[in-house]
Amino acid sequence: MVFSGIPFLYYFLPLTLLLYFAAPRKLKNAVLLIMSLVFYGWGEPKYLIFMVLSILQGYIFGLLIEKHQNTGRSRLYLTASVMLSLGMLCYCKYADFFIANFNAVTGLSLPLLKIALPIGISFYTFQILSYAVDVYRGSAKAQRSFVNLAAYIAMFPQLIAGPIVRYTDIADSLDHREHTAAGCAYGVRRFVLGLGKKVLIANTLGELCSIFRAAEEKSVLFFWLYAVAYTLHVYFDFSGYSDMAIGLGRIFGFRFMENFNYPYISGSITEFWRRWHISLGSWFRDYLYIPLGGNRVPKWRWYLNIFIVWMSTGLWHGAAWNFAIWGLMFAVLLVMEKQWLLKPLERAGFVKHIYVMLIVILSFVVFDAANIADGLHSIAAMFGGGGYPLVSAEALYYLRSYGLVMIIGVIGSTPIMAKTAKAVSEHSTGGRIMSLLEPVFLALMLIVCTAYLVDGSFNPFLYFRF
Amino acid sequence: MKERTKNIITVVLTGIIIFGFALWGVLMPDGDISISERRPLKQFPKLSADTVISGDFTADFEEYAADQFPLRDAFRRIKAYAVYYLFRQGDNNDVYLQDGYASKLEYPMNEDSIRRAAQVFKKVYDKYLGESRVYFSLIPDKNAFMAESGGYPAMDYAGFTQLVVQNTPFMQYIPIDHLLELEDYYRTDTHWRQERIVDVAKHLGEAMEVELKGEYAENVLDKPFYGVYCGQAALPLPAEELYYLTNEVLEGCSVYDHETGKHIGVYDLEKANGQDLYEIFLSGSKSLLTIENPACSTGRELIVFRDSFGSSIVPLLIEGYSTVTVVDIRYMSSDMLGRFVDFHGQDVLFLYSTLVLNNSVTLK
Repeated sequence: MVFSGIPFLYYFLPLTLLLYFAAPRKLKNAVLLIMSLVFYGWGEPKYLIFMVLSILQGYIFGLLIEKHQNTGRSRLYLTASVMLSLGMLCYCKYADFFIANFNAVTGLSLPLLKIALPIGISFYTFQILSYAVDVYRGSAKAQRSFVNLAAYIAMFPQLIAGPIVRYTDIADSLDHREHTAAGCAYGVRRFVLGLGKKVLIANTLGELCSIFRAAEEKSVLFFWLYAVAYTLHVYFDFSGYSDMAIGLGRIFGFRFMENFNYPYISGSITEFWRRWHISLGSWFRDYLYIPLGGNRVPKWRWYLNIFIVWMSTGLWHGAAWNFAIWGLMFAVLLVMEKQWLLKPLERAGFVKHIYVMLIVILSFVVFDAANIADGLHSIAAMFGGGGYPLVSAEALYYLRSYGLVMIIGVIGSTPIMAKTAKAVSEHSTGGRIMSLLEPVFLALMLIVCTAYLVDGSFNPFLYFRF
Repeated sequence: MKERTKNIITVVLTGIIIFGFALWGVLMPDGDISISERRPLKQFPKLSADTVISGDFTADFEEYAADQFPLRDAFRRIKAYAVYYLFRQGDNNDVYLQDGYASKLEYPMNEDSIRRAAQVFKKVYDKYLGESRVYFSLIPDKNAFMAESGGYPAMDYAGFTQLVVQNTPFMQYIPIDHLLELEDYYRTDTHWRQERIVDVAKHLGEAMEVELKGEYAENVLDKPFYGVYCGQAALPLPAEELYYLTNEVLEGCSVYDHETGKHIGVYDLEKANGQDLYEIFLSGSKSLLTIENPACSTGRELIVFRDSFGSSIVPLLIEGYSTVTVVDIRYMSSDMLGRFVDFHGQDVLFLYSTLVLNNSVTLK
């Protein structure tokens, strides 16, 4: 089930809210768990078993790790839990990738398994991994209640597209949390804004990307239009989903970590990755990069650590070489920045933003490509390769048609609007006006989003496939 | 206090919307059809273990929930306003508005589709039409007159025509595009206006060496005509008047519908009570009709292979023929034609719009 759908907004959500707030405090997690299983099973009931098994092993090994804390057995149980989690992820997500590459290298033709990827498996696997590691490290206590642990892992707001919520961040809230009008209003605000980002901006720009892919008469302008639209589409799609997840979490009394912090205003790629998909970046930092030794190792080893982390980041997004190349490209850039570029970039003024956005836009072209050759072809075409005309009537039309949405997208990907709203709110008269206007604006946005959904349009969430 | 009030208003307002429409949707009886979109609405899907496990139930429920949502047409209109006027997009669901006319983007030219259509025509020619004089005419869709001038992507109509002609050397091409202009089409519909294409019919007649006087009385339907783009654009476009032309010749004709085995009129005014008023012309989508014209004594016969544009122009060709057979190979296989039509050297006219040739998968 997707947040930006009529079944979720007008069937699942009201029912869940009713049941949740009607339930006594000690049953709230059970209600959340049951409804989360319904949410997950709605689209793919057969994959429930993967998730339930993952949760079960996480629960059992968590208890065992804690029971044998500071002994060799604890490490053994952690290894078993990690192997099971990664084993399931590899089986579902990477088996065919490995087989295809094995076939390519050996000339054999082993049959592909053709396993459909369970939705959200990359997200909930990482949550279970972090839980087991945190219990092993002693930074979290093992959860005694299966319902509580399952409610944490399966919690529908963040289940299928993040943010990757750490158990340590919400362990206390699982037992004790407050439900306030202020929290609820904040949650509603984040949810509706996220819905607007997804439905009005991301979906619309997604349509433009689809039009480009289907177009037979491409031009240099059209390639650029697509590249910029896709860059905005990815941001609004993913950050919109994160906003909705954070908002829903807050309505149910949880505080999830922020996942985006205006990444497109970054002045370096290093800064970009501190602002983009923060929960994934910090996960790899804490559970892979630092355990590998981080930067407190010989230089060659440090480089290796960076390449391992970014290769993993790339492959986390998809089992294909273009994702690996995408990750490695960032590894190279990050090393270059750390070695030579960061200081000059600090003095580069606006040029540094052009540098970052150019890299980001080109990286997303590779990210979206069917394969590496396709991605390179698109990048070449953007710079005049491939013999495409400079402009075409079709590209001009779509530039005009989607121009305003793209401008709104560009402005919306900076803090300008949030800062303006804050400044107005802090003014006494402006604050009174905002008190009235903000709820009306949110209600109108919900109505307009509903209108888009009723009319039916391009709607799949991009990050589901990860 | 200010913050607290804002919070309460926010929660209450959004709560009213979500819970209100949720309750309304559950209590409201399901509708059968969407009049504005001219299609049946999705009904509650079959609920069983099989449909749930296979995912069919949930997929169908998504459609059902959107189709049966309260105030669906009003919401579709809100979306259209947002697309056209808030975000200033050029089209909504590919439908665009230009100088008071609505049309659907038809782009790009699908050369494979055009060649496929030509192959179907060739197959029909080889199988049935060896003794006939075979003509072909191409009806440009509305976009030919409004897309490019409005900055919308448009097909190369000259290239389109050239490609069709190149691939149909067995037919004599009769150009008609020079006789058409935007005003010859309905503002809210795909089709051309019958009262504006008498000159086209005459021109076709001349090319086929048949004299057509083209004298008709104009009749107007007493019902407002909302074309297909009204529903698709979801905007309150003004209604149009639908005219149909009559004269003594047409009134004396009998039309035999091979599908139903019944005789019908050239104009089926019962269709004026339906969803698509354009269906009054030869009763709309019919696979095979035979029109007998007792007023014509020449004994000349015509077979017209046509799409829906043909429904309104064929009545204007009847005058010159004793018998006109009207075939729509979108609704019947051309392989079966020999069972129903006796081909014996009649004049044959292939009359198709660019819309059908550019999407020729429907031709059988």
